[in-house]
Amino acid sequence: MPSKDKGHSSITSTDQELVLSSLEPEQLAGLKKHLIPRRHLKGPERFVIWSLRIYLLFMIVVVFYQVWASLH
Amino acid sequence: MNLGPLSRLTQRGVNQQDVVITHEDVDRAHDRVRVSAARAQRGPFSKFRLLWLLVGPGILVMLGENDGPSMISYAATGARFGIGFFLPFVVLTFCMAIVVQEMTMRLGSATHRGHAELIFDRFGPFWGWFSMIDLGIGNFLTLITEFIAIRAGLGFFGVPPWAAVGSALVFLCLAVAMHRYWTWERTLLAIAVFNLIFVPVALLTHPNWHSVGHAFITWKPLPGLSQDTLIIILADIGATVTPWMLFFQQSATVDKGLTTKDIHLGRIDTVLGAALAATAAVATIIATAPLFVHHMTAENFQGAEFAQALQPLIGRFGAALFALGIVEAGMVASVTISISSAYAFGEVVHRPHSLNLPVAQGKAFYSVLFLLAATAGAIVLIPGLPLVYVVLLVNVVAVLAMPPALVFLFMLANDREVMGDLVSPLWANFLATCVVVFLTLAGVLFGVSVIAPNLFAFLGGK
Repeated sequence: MPSKDKGHSSITSTDQELVLSSLEPEQLAGLKKHLIPRRHLKGPERFVIWSLRIYLLFMIVVVFYQVWASLH
Repeated sequence: MNLGPLSRLTQRGVNQQDVVITHEDVDRAHDRVRVSAARAQRGPFSKFRLLWLLVGPGILVMLGENDGPSMISYAATGARFGIGFFLPFVVLTFCMAIVVQEMTMRLGSATHRGHAELIFDRFGPFWGWFSMIDLGIGNFLTLITEFIAIRAGLGFFGVPPWAAVGSALVFLCLAVAMHRYWTWERTLLAIAVFNLIFVPVALLTHPNWHSVGHAFITWKPLPGLSQDTLIIILADIGATVTPWMLFFQQSATVDKGLTTKDIHLGRIDTVLGAALAATAAVATIIATAPLFVHHMTAENFQGAEFAQALQPLIGRFGAALFALGIVEAGMVASVTISISSAYAFGEVVHRPHSLNLPVAQGKAFYSVLFLLAATAGAIVLIPGLPLVYVVLLVNVVAVLAMPPALVFLFMLANDREVMGDLVSPLWANFLATCVVVFLTLAGVLFGVSVIAPNLFAFLGGK
């Protein structure tokens, strides 16, 4: 039988039956500890992600410069 | 063959001993039972009943994004440019938001995982932490601006800043005190619809409907291309599409318990939210357009100053409604953005993260939520802080942070191992690519205007 978590002693067997019959297995909070398998990024994907990361960092510097220029 | 619940788990390769039933599961199961019952019903109102049960995350995310700085951006737009290009432009930005948010709803329904959790699991902690840093900084800055809006809006009624911030924190605590997702969602929905208060304010200004119709059809008059115009354009985009929305809607979809059967109505929820939010945004621009007509400068206006400036035109009652609208926008968003941060935190550190959690089981979740809001509120009370500029800049930063966030969303929504047959169709990928390109170009143009103002002036024909 599925177990009840510590601190969940008020959960009855009716509750358990209700949960197991109405939720999909992946919806159970306890099963979310299982990680989804890792996916390795391909070359073009890495390029796009790194490009946008550099774009973001650069633009943040631009924003800071804009703020500095406006305040002076 | 009708398998029992335990057999179904075993069939899915789940060890029964691994299954731990929590209060969170029980509450969600009760919600799902009502959805199943509504789905099984036949009759004229059964579809409405089902829609009523399933709407929530989409409307909340869209009306939540009509937050304090967004409404101030729309008000600044109306006051600076009047009725013209920006009316259809704002509707276009909400169409972009629908494209993006539909993907998060689909991801949440198909995987039952939050956005932060999926990025960490699928792409590893390196990219996961990058996304979390973007989200954390963006959310914190935005939260500060929510408290600025609340302070400004309540300031119209003479409420001192400390009392305004205090009341917002009390509201936040009351909003999550129910420890039940369903009750929280319905309560916040009722309050969020108050965002439409800007519609009567717009009507009180007796707008020229011919000009409004002309603007929607022709996108004219066009604003001149200048750095100020560009900041308003970016602020209006940032008022509609921001990273916290991706994380919030996906986590709320999971917390609500939506499944693949609910995707169609989840789309309706998202479109409905966008329609309501776009109506409020357009109404705000129309409401402040008289300030443009009367050549009133609104460069340093916060929410309360807009209300005060409008008072001679729409009376004390109309101005009070405007100020209340700004307060409501800040209050609702302070709740949704704090919750978005707490969801992401819980997903990343694998701690319980649900609004169905009792405090004892969700100490980390509720602590993050409250501490973030309290710190942001305290910053707003620092005397002499340049609050006005922060509000517009936060929306600009949100636009800049959006393309990297969208690429991860795009990859996840097209990941067949995660999504199965629910991967994005070609048309959705085309639209999502257009959104990424549009946002990136808008950011680049802003960069050019700051770094090379002469080149920018040349591009603008000056």
